[in-house]
Amino acid sequence: MPLLQVDEVSVRFGGVMANQGVNLHADAGRITGLIGPNGAGKTTMFNVITGLQDPTEGRVLVDDKDVTALKPHKRARLGLARTFQRLEVFGSLSARDNVLVAAEIRKRWARDGSDPKAVAEEVLERVGITHVAGERVDAMPTGMARLVELARALAARPRLLLLDEPGSGLDESETEAFGGLLLDLAREGLGMLLVEHDVDLVMRVCDLIFVLDFGRIIAVGTPTEIQHNPDVQAAYLGAEDPDDADHAAEELTHS
Amino acid sequence: MHDFLRYTVLGLVVGSGYAVAASGLVVTYQTSGIFNFAHGAIGMFMAFVYWKIHVDMGVPTLLALALVLLVLAPLLGALIERTMMRSLYGASTGAALVVTVGLMLTLLGAAYSFWPQGTARILPEFFAGSQFKLFGLVITYHQATVVVVAALVALFLRLLFYRTRIGTAMRAVVDDPELLAMNGANPKRVGQASWALGASLASLAGILLAPLVNLEVLILTLLVLNCLAAAMLGRLKSLPLTFLGAILVALGENYIVGYGPGNVGSYRGALPSIFLLLVLLFLPQARLKSGRLVGARAPRVPTLRQSVISAGVFVVVGMLLSGQMSRSDLATYGGGLAVGLIMLSLVLLTGYGGQVSLCQLTFAGIGAFVMGRYFTGGSMLGLVVVAIVAGLAGFLVSLPALRLQGLYLALTTFAVGRGVDLLFFSNSHVFGYGGQLAVPRVKLPGLSFQGDRAFFILLLVTFAGAGVLLLALRRGPFGRQLAAQSDSEAACATLGLSLVATKAIVFALSASIAGVAGALYGGLRGGVTQNDFLVLVSLAVALSVYVGGINTVTGALIGGVFFAVLPTIGAHFPKLAQTQYLGTGMAAALIGRFPNGIVGLISNGVDRARRQFAGAGIHERAMEVDGLAAPAS
Repeated sequence: MPLLQVDEVSVRFGGVMANQGVNLHADAGRITGLIGPNGAGKTTMFNVITGLQDPTEGRVLVDDKDVTALKPHKRARLGLARTFQRLEVFGSLSARDNVLVAAEIRKRWARDGSDPKAVAEEVLERVGITHVAGERVDAMPTGMARLVELARALAARPRLLLLDEPGSGLDESETEAFGGLLLDLAREGLGMLLVEHDVDLVMRVCDLIFVLDFGRIIAVGTPTEIQHNPDVQAAYLGAEDPDDADHAAEELTHS
Repeated sequence: MHDFLRYTVLGLVVGSGYAVAASGLVVTYQTSGIFNFAHGAIGMFMAFVYWKIHVDMGVPTLLALALVLLVLAPLLGALIERTMMRSLYGASTGAALVVTVGLMLTLLGAAYSFWPQGTARILPEFFAGSQFKLFGLVITYHQATVVVVAALVALFLRLLFYRTRIGTAMRAVVDDPELLAMNGANPKRVGQASWALGASLASLAGILLAPLVNLEVLILTLLVLNCLAAAMLGRLKSLPLTFLGAILVALGENYIVGYGPGNVGSYRGALPSIFLLLVLLFLPQARLKSGRLVGARAPRVPTLRQSVISAGVFVVVGMLLSGQMSRSDLATYGGGLAVGLIMLSLVLLTGYGGQVSLCQLTFAGIGAFVMGRYFTGGSMLGLVVVAIVAGLAGFLVSLPALRLQGLYLALTTFAVGRGVDLLFFSNSHVFGYGGQLAVPRVKLPGLSFQGDRAFFILLLVTFAGAGVLLLALRRGPFGRQLAAQSDSEAACATLGLSLVATKAIVFALSASIAGVAGALYGGLRGGVTQNDFLVLVSLAVALSVYVGGINTVTGALIGGVFFAVLPTIGAHFPKLAQTQYLGTGMAAALIGRFPNGIVGLISNGVDRARRQFAGAGIHERAMEVDGLAAPAS
């Protein structure tokens, strides 16, 4: 039984279908990739999963339970957490307070007797931002603020974490470390759904990849399968003719 | 049957007038994202200008109309956009609202000083009251004109939005001004055009409606509530539904006049409020928007030690000063403290929580009423009950709008405030026939606050204590949560926080504080009247606390004193009384640029001085370039 299952979800904005009959799933302890060109409907899918957007059709299941009608905060309490492509940090608070507030909110609904301060320090350390924890987040560079969002989401102790382009704004060595962190988290049992443009990173960490294009899933497979899928090669760079597709293939297999 | 037909026709006519006004409100809101509280006031002001030009100076009708509707009103609208609104794009709901509130109060004041009350001014109907008969009903040409004009406006707007380039740009600008700019349109010019158009439509409605409802400052200004109720049916978006809403509101008003109970005036006036609340109940839940808000950088929160010491110093200095004060000084500054306490409730609600209430004095009035009516002995228990009752009232008010976006809650509070003014406070069983309800001063075992100075000191201690508590709250988990929620509701929800519960709690808590403040205010004055708690005064209070600084305790204190002292300046220097309104307008215009008010200005200055003194590092200098320098935490 998958932790998360998306079942035939469609979302219509006026005349535009942002998602169309999408099926995907994500499991505990695995990193599932969701890739596709800009405007393919990845963020919309995240919004549907977390309850910020009602689907026009279809269902979202967590532990095989239909949660489509549940409000965002109820879904969070089932173990979903996320980061945002367009940052949604608490800009007026320090990084430490961003994480602390998440741990406090979690403690309130989980009633698990955890110590929010200890949780916050642990998570800050884990993500490697303790040295900037006292700084206000709205004064931080984007890459750092993304790490704050990651830490904040982790402080809610989720079972499934949705990451929306967490790697943008990080340099090469930071990305390297970040990939390592994701793999560690997966090893500890956290499930992750990863939207990311950095193909290298996706190929390195994901167990299974779903490819979205124009709102539809056009391919599913392991990184190797995806790299050699001609549909993906064509779609990913919007390439129609074979030359471009070759180029895209190169890009994809680069890792 | 004949009567029914008559009320229906009247409703359709007046509703057409409302529709013209309401469509202007929606156009401005949709294109600039700013809800214009001064919409009615603009219509009022231009109706008076039209009266001046046409009736007083004798300029012929058509020429006067062209001058007002095609030249002066658009100019006024464009000027307002340029001077007050442009700095507000992306500002918080509260800041944007109080700026238009400031504009409304300015226009009110200006109208009162240009056209003092006491002289009857009549704006004649078009076609000099000629009439015709339809189905046995007498209908004036003016009435028919109103309906025809409304239909033409509807047609005009439809063509504008769907057939012209500027209209398409207007529809696009609110979604994404940057994208629009990349496509070659100028968002600023589009915004300005929408304010010009909005002002013109407000003026047209004012001129059409004045002969029907009276050329009177307050009546026309408060028509914004009717427009708001109508626009709510179209979710501040759909023009056809707004037109329908306008007609429904006006029909309701006229049926109440025809068939309503004895106290017709009050019920009729309260109808838009009731209509709005009913519509709200059926509005679907708002989607949680994720998006950037240009946040006002909150000043540093003092530590417990710092806040206790400041509070102690404040009380001691206040006590020392009170020894030198005359009775009237004690009353003035004591009033400032009581109003400051009400403003403190807004610091909690708006400054910390990001919610806006425009009816805080309504809760204060409820507090004074409960204390004066049921605890004439002045027992402490009274204040406790006051806090509970006012808190419950706040909770109830917030309920229908909590699941909607912030603006809806703010607009609801205005409607509720107006409704309570008309249906509850003006009821002779509440404060007595235009009279006073005596409110006792609280007693503590072994302590008497009957003396003016003693009561002043009680107010000092209460304000200081409330300030310390508020800051403690701000530093704790609940305060963090409020800050988080006002920064990003979407993120909070995805962390498992029930937004509605938090909002309801903070709204109730804030109403509680306002209720207690109202009871103390009543005690200070010895009694209260309905005029103390009018919703218009609530608006002025909300504006003043923004001027002081919406997210600090000090801001509430400055706002409170400012609010209490201003009228006495007017009393001592009558010539200055009129500049007061100009001052209000100017203060409002500055809120867009200085969202943390006077306190923000001072703390920025202090920080800058401190940094220069210490020889600032490169990092801090870089932050200063950002605009409002953030205080180092």
